[in-house]
Amino acid sequence: MHAILSESLSKTYRSGITGKQPIIALANFSVEVAPGQIFSLLGPNGAGKTTFVKILLSLTHPTSGRASILGRQLPDVKVRERIGYLPENHRYPGYLTGEQLLRSFGQLGGIHRSALRSRINPLMELVGVAQWRSMKVRKYSKGMMQRLGLAQALINDPELLFLDEPTDGVDPVGRKEIRDILLNLKAQGKTIFLNSHLLSEVELISDRVAILDKGTLLKIGTVDELTSVGPEYLIGIGADLTEGFLHEASALLLKLSYTSDSISAQLSSTEELNKLIDLLRKYGIEITSIVKKRSTLEDSFINLLKKEVVS
Amino acid sequence: MKIWGLVTITLRELSAKATLIVLAGISTLIILGIFLSLSSSQVEDGINLMFFGSSVGSPVSHESLHEIVHGIQATLTKGLFWGIVLFGVIATAGIIPSALEKGTVDLYLSKPIARWELLLGKYLGAVVLMLFNIVYFLGALWFVFGIKVGVWNSQFFLSSITLTFVFACLFSIVALLGVLFRGPAIPIIGTFLYLFVGNLLEQREQVLYLISENPMYQRILDGLYYILPQISAMEANIANQITQQGLDWRPFAQSILSAGMLFGGSVAIFSKRDF
Ligand SMILES: Nc1ncnc2c1ncn2[C@@H]1O[C@H](COP(=O)(O)OP(=O)(O)OP(=O)(O)O)[C@@H](O)[C@H]1O
Ligand SMILES: [Mg+2]
Repeated sequence: MHAILSESLSKTYRSGITGKQPIIALANFSVEVAPGQIFSLLGPNGAGKTTFVKILLSLTHPTSGRASILGRQLPDVKVRERIGYLPENHRYPGYLTGEQLLRSFGQLGGIHRSALRSRINPLMELVGVAQWRSMKVRKYSKGMMQRLGLAQALINDPELLFLDEPTDGVDPVGRKEIRDILLNLKAQGKTIFLNSHLLSEVELISDRVAILDKGTLLKIGTVDELTSVGPEYLIGIGADLTEGFLHEASALLLKLSYTSDSISAQLSSTEELNKLIDLLRKYGIEITSIVKKRSTLEDSFINLLKKEVVS
Repeated sequence: MKIWGLVTITLRELSAKATLIVLAGISTLIILGIFLSLSSSQVEDGINLMFFGSSVGSPVSHESLHEIVHGIQATLTKGLFWGIVLFGVIATAGIIPSALEKGTVDLYLSKPIARWELLLGKYLGAVVLMLFNIVYFLGALWFVFGIKVGVWNSQFFLSSITLTFVFACLFSIVALLGVLFRGPAIPIIGTFLYLFVGNLLEQREQVLYLISENPMYQRILDGLYYILPQISAMEANIANQITQQGLDWRPFAQSILSAGMLFGGSVAIFSKRDF
């Protein structure tokens, strides 16, 4: 069973009365998320990330395509007992206190009163809002609200969690705390679906990542797959390269660029890497380090979107 | 259970509003005013009904006292009918638009709640709130008339249910407009407009028929009259109930049907919407 299965989901928003251009928010988007994973959906503003989550929650109706979550074909009201959702720009009723809010929304989630009572306090402790439990939500700061929102999403101990920009407005310590909470949830076997812009954060916790732009899937894979940029090596050297070495290297068609203390080599195979090492040894050039270069998720994200613009 | 959760959340939302405190305050003032001004005394040739210590008319027999008090209660309730209904609409018109606001509706709908349940929960929340208010108000007045002049008119007390019913019917229009438009302004204005139009429709033969002789036009007016909640007819019904002349069930049945239709329409529109 997949936690999430989307088959050619498309969504076109039409503004009927004004007759403006229809907006294609999602185009033939297919994706599978296995249970127990942290899956992140990345993409620039307006890429369609929120639209995808909203379709999975039946907040928005797809124009075409099918989707299921936790093995249930959508739309399905009952399956929402097993999911949690932290929307972007959520607005909680300001007249409730943090504690009342968790109780009310827990009740709406179908949780029994007695179960709720034992759940609310530990949850408020977990997300770090326990000291504001009796304060009206109206007075919460942005980061406090976000933490409370996370508690709200977790109130029913969901199997599948949708988080739309969960660390938005949260301070760095809080972000780390939230990351730890998510990793902990993953260790409990929960599936987490994350929408985010914060690539450096996503990189730290995601098992799989998909990049979306203008409603279309550009790339999908593990963080490793998305960040390794072909075999490029940085080799530290202890002495200047000699004429003879350079001559022989170019004869071997090795693509190198160098400074006085390092060589950057683009190699097509480990065989080429070994040839390069042999050559360095032959000329008695000391090797101080060999590092396989990788880009950050941010680099590959930006490169990918740049290519998109060019093509 | 979930519906009840929605009702309690709605009651919380409504009780946080100033309008409601004003409504309860005005009710309490009226109850106190009547409590302090009304009295009766037994004299030789009957019972004397007194306002501010001076008697109203001459002493009357036990039966006529009942009749007079029922009349007063009917007039009072009719007078307050519009006040209660209009205030109620103003106090509650915002709850559906506020539940459908971006960022809030996401929270509700991500719960295992169907869209019709969300609307129904909000609807019932408004109705339950008005039921509390109206029962408080008419119940207290019923008690005041009971202890001060010894007339315990159970129909007067029960008219609070009828009045709540009227509010519930009217709220089907508030709900429909609340689903269609953002913010409480249009539901309030639209409902007031409806009350006005409803009154005209009630008297269509004397007023609207005069505009055109076209039978088509007149049948459309008849049709509208029969498919919309009949607030004016219900007002007359309440007066009849209090004076114990019995209830006319036609406006009840018709209002239930049309409120049901309007609610169904709201659900249909709401279910199609993308958020
Ligand atoms: N209710 C709506 N009606 C019309 N268009 C909409 C609606 N919601 C979203 N859109 C459009 O759909 C596109 C995708 O929006 P979406 O909110 O899914 O983007 P996103 O990837 O979540 O962006 P962000 O990173 O800014 O949150 C945008 O062009 C947006 O204008
Ligand atoms: Mg978004």
